Amino acid sequence: MTTVDPAEAGTIWVPPTWDEVVREHADRVYRLAFRLSGNRADAEDLTQETFVRVFRSLAEYTPGTFEGWLHRITTNLFLDMVRRRQRIRFDALPDDAGDRLASREGGPEQAYEQMNLDPEVQAALDALPADFRVAVVLCDLEQLSYEEIAATLGIKVGTVRSRIHRGRVMLREALAHRAPGLRPANEFGEAPAHA
Amino acid sequence: MRDLGRDLGRAQHLSDEAIAAFADDVLTGHARQRARRHTALCAECNHAVAVQREAVWALRTAPAPALPSGLLDRLRDVPVTTPIRQVPTHVDEHGNTMFASFAAPAAAFVPVQPEHPRRGRPVAFAVASVAVLGALAGTAASDSGPTREPAGPHPVHAGYLRAELPKHP
Repeated sequence: MTTVDPAEAGTIWVPPTWDEVVREHADRVYRLAFRLSGNRADAEDLTQETFVRVFRSLAEYTPGTFEGWLHRITTNLFLDMVRRRQRIRFDALPDDAGDRLASREGGPEQAYEQMNLDPEVQAALDALPADFRVAVVLCDLEQLSYEEIAATLGIKVGTVRSRIHRGRVMLREALAHRAPGLRPANEFGEAPAHA
Repeated sequence: MRDLGRDLGRAQHLSDEAIAAFADDVLTGHARQRARRHTALCAECNHAVAVQREAVWALRTAPAPALPSGLLDRLRDVPVTTPIRQVPTHVDEHGNTMFASFAAPAAAFVPVQPEHPRRGRPVAFAVASVAVLGALAGTAASDSGPTREPAGPHPVHAGYLRAELPKHP
């Protein structure tokens, strides 16, 4: 077999390798979008727009880290969204996020999401200023290096460290009431911290 | 707030940045040794490092959201549903020149999957197709500003473009 028969893909032709791109990266992009935006509706919009941008820019893509490219697109779309909403808030227009969320069909995934997501952690994350949240999410959930985060956001490594530090402090303070259940993570090879 | 300047002496507290880096175990050499020694003696910095790690732990142990299946379908349909504002003028009515000229950059993007050698040719063909379509869309949408673009009066879909693809070897 040397070519892909469009008939095999049904009436709507979907390029097979686009399918591969989606299958390989959709989970990660959605997870990042959800952690940044804090809700399913925005996460879906961000993920969709990320892949639209990728599709439109594939020929301009220069070999490098494809994941890094996706992180950049998703993160910048999120920050654009935050800035746009801040402007809208100043203009006293209603935020339609709630309406859009309600318009989405509920499904098994939503039930799963509601049962399994940790709402307190997500709420603590949502409470962080957007710039801090981005740095913390990219570092602690996407596990990018400080240098990769600096390149993604176009800021200095020192600024990245500072935002990560401050963001984690705020996050930990927001979860202070869970202290007994929030045990120190000492898998880094260092001596355990205070009790 | 502590600053880097105060990080120079052993007796001084670690800077915020050093606290984060030490908690992430990315300090090396002398800086790492200094942080080790200092946190062993300084309850305040030791606590600050613990706070960092606890926050990381809370984040990493929180379950990840699952990709909604409806979204997966929409992402798969992006080449079909993404409108192109206008067809570039330098493409002839059959689109042959455009497809040929963009085949090379497409090749650079091919995800090599040596563990699946039998899929090599179809993958290469399909990726070239995708990149070609992406190139055409990117050219047409180069003046795009807003995130959401309404479909133009005559949106050109990838499926239509695909129909004009020349036969690849």
